Amino acid sequence: MSRRSDLKGRIESMIAHFDGGGEVDPALRDRLIEDLATWQASRIPEYGRLQLQGDWPAALPTDVFRFRRIAAHAKEDDVRVFSSSGTTSSDRSVHAYGDLSLYDLAARAAASRMLFPDVAQIRLVMLAPHEKEALDSSLEYMLTRFGEWFGSECTWAWRHAKLDLDRLTAVLSRAEVAGEPIALLGTSFAFVHAEDGLGQRRFGLAPGSRVMQTGGYKGRSREVDSDLLLEAISDRYGIATPFIINEFGATELSSQLYETTLREAIHPPVGPRRLWVPPWVRATPVDPDTLRPVEGDKVGILRIDDTANLDSVCCIQTADLAKRVEDGIVVLGRAAGATPRGCSLAADQALGAR
Amino acid sequence: MTDDARTIRGRATAVLNAGQALRAASTTERAVWLADAAAALNRHAGQAGPTLSEATGLSAPMVDWASRTTLDTIREDTLLALARTASRESEPPSAPIAMMAVVLAGNVFTASVRGILVPLLLGVPVLVKASSKELAFPAMLKDALRRSNANLGASVDIVAFPGGDVECETALVERAAAVSVYGSDETVAAMASRVGHGSIIPHGHGVSVAYCGAEALGGKQRSDTIANLALDICAYDQRGCLSPQLVFIEAATERSARDFAAGLAEEGLEPMNRTLPRGPLPASIGAEQAQWRGVAEVEGTLIRGTSYGLAIRSAQAIRWSPGYRNVTIVPVRTIDGAFDAIEPIGASLKCVGTDPASISNVSARLAESRPLQAYACALGSMQTPAVDAPADGFPIWHGLLRPSKTARGVTAKRR
Repeated sequence: MSRRSDLKGRIESMIAHFDGGGEVDPALRDRLIEDLATWQASRIPEYGRLQLQGDWPAALPTDVFRFRRIAAHAKEDDVRVFSSSGTTSSDRSVHAYGDLSLYDLAARAAASRMLFPDVAQIRLVMLAPHEKEALDSSLEYMLTRFGEWFGSECTWAWRHAKLDLDRLTAVLSRAEVAGEPIALLGTSFAFVHAEDGLGQRRFGLAPGSRVMQTGGYKGRSREVDSDLLLEAISDRYGIATPFIINEFGATELSSQLYETTLREAIHPPVGPRRLWVPPWVRATPVDPDTLRPVEGDKVGILRIDDTANLDSVCCIQTADLAKRVEDGIVVLGRAAGATPRGCSLAADQALGAR
Repeated sequence: MTDDARTIRGRATAVLNAGQALRAASTTERAVWLADAAAALNRHAGQAGPTLSEATGLSAPMVDWASRTTLDTIREDTLLALARTASRESEPPSAPIAMMAVVLAGNVFTASVRGILVPLLLGVPVLVKASSKELAFPAMLKDALRRSNANLGASVDIVAFPGGDVECETALVERAAAVSVYGSDETVAAMASRVGHGSIIPHGHGVSVAYCGAEALGGKQRSDTIANLALDICAYDQRGCLSPQLVFIEAATERSARDFAAGLAEEGLEPMNRTLPRGPLPASIGAEQAQWRGVAEVEGTLIRGTSYGLAIRSAQAIRWSPGYRNVTIVPVRTIDGAFDAIEPIGASLKCVGTDPASISNVSARLAESRPLQAYACALGSMQTPAVDAPADGFPIWHGLLRPSKTARGVTAKRR
């Protein structure tokens, strides 16, 4: 058995064990992270150049995915290449996959646990394009799989690069009349577009209806404070706020983190709103100088060790600010060209134009 | 402290009216008052170290160093020399404008010194919008001016309000003959939209670089080069537009570049962190720092220290750092390599710090360059410009004097 097959087998069993209702020993996960990092450092020269961070494997900054191909497999073995949104190629993170089976396994297990803990199938309404319209988007790939795995019926309300308000209104009205719960899944900016386009129209969706929103705005709609958007969505669709949750995903990751409120409303006890970290993932706020874990609930920058990232790099250093809350994580936002760097922006653009 | 438009208008009127008494004094009298105020503030700033440290995010020793080195440049002789040069170079005979509004940025707290004192020296009263992040130092400066001379003190006032408040911005600039804006290009553009581009003196986005010739990297000069570079990098935690982001070194091999960078780290930056420690790292900067350092490590060589990072990269792969003592060392074969790399920066390049042997060559190259407006200065003094150092390609008195009778089309000369 090859080293890769052995590692893949261990990841699969860990996720499957959890999905079957078992507990995952964090020590086992941590050993797997170590072994993955060692193998990946030997296969991916860029990763191999990073120094150890204390007794943890080095974490690769997400920015590296913008400038370099990060893959343990050859380009000709790519089955799918995801890239983040951005206006220029250097703004886009690129994540190449030679095998999507672990992505699928992780996505399905996490969504079953946190987004659909009470239903096997439900009517889905996507405020996002179908993967056919955005082949390089990991979110659209995931939502399309959700349609196949969890959708008793699936309506795509974002078509030809815009929100189809008629379609959205029609499907929501039908669900309202039928009294059947519905799940609305999409990007935050699509929900803002819906807010702007639906005017005074309000819906009273059936109990059990839910919303999953994800991603930032990236200039694609006006920006709305997350608490205000939560209230607006609740008011618009008649869904209690615990049933409106955020998903945290990234092009550089194969696993997703979900907010806890929906699951905890169904399976108490109820705790504070926070991101649940799947047991095959280690999410840690770290100190920006030492890159070591911060103490307690201090704000740090979020490091995510995602064992489902088999053919790229498992240990990822994000640019997100985060802190621990109980057994989960709260993401406080992304560092976006803060002030001193802003001083260099014009020059940055000048160099970029060379 | 936040002021409303009515308060701002009231202060603008008071400052404008005080201008007559200010102009009635001689240049020598104004220079004496200003020098006295700077000396008094220099004494007082030391006691206010903790307050300023908290307000600026710089360590207390850094605040002390920054106050001292800036205020030391404000002397009667340097001020009089500046006034003489301004008068000589402003042909035809010029008169001070009626009032200037100054918008300060928050990254380098002592920028207020030249921004406020030079207009006053030339007889121009000043209404200052302080950065919402840093009100303490301008307030201390105003107090020192008031104590030095009542007319001088009446000729300056400070207001504060959130950026983007159109009513307040309008009140700030509506009676000003010129508006000097320190800050981002967005801030400059916002103010220009209030007053028109003709009255704006922009001090927008900017970066600076250092250049070290081969001679400066070895022999007896090596330790001086390292000490001076370390100071330029650490001053104001590399937050200012005069802070070097890139250090070009004339190195024949990559190995020699790495050796010099290692020396800069061990003999320069590490000790500097004990004498002038870095202030606390804001979380958002920390996130950028982690990305920048990681990319540097993947794509080149990174030397990581207690509170600094040195990336060694080619001129083709430069990535701007978030500052806070994260610098790129760029080995080049000749000075041509450095200028090829910096010319695209254009007007955003503010200053080139360089070693004594290279300064005349660097100055000549800057003078020849069409896109660049930066000036050259000695390493170790990048963050302590002389009171008469140019700003953004113009003399520091640019916009403060207007032709008194005729030839209104003539403006200050560049450089």
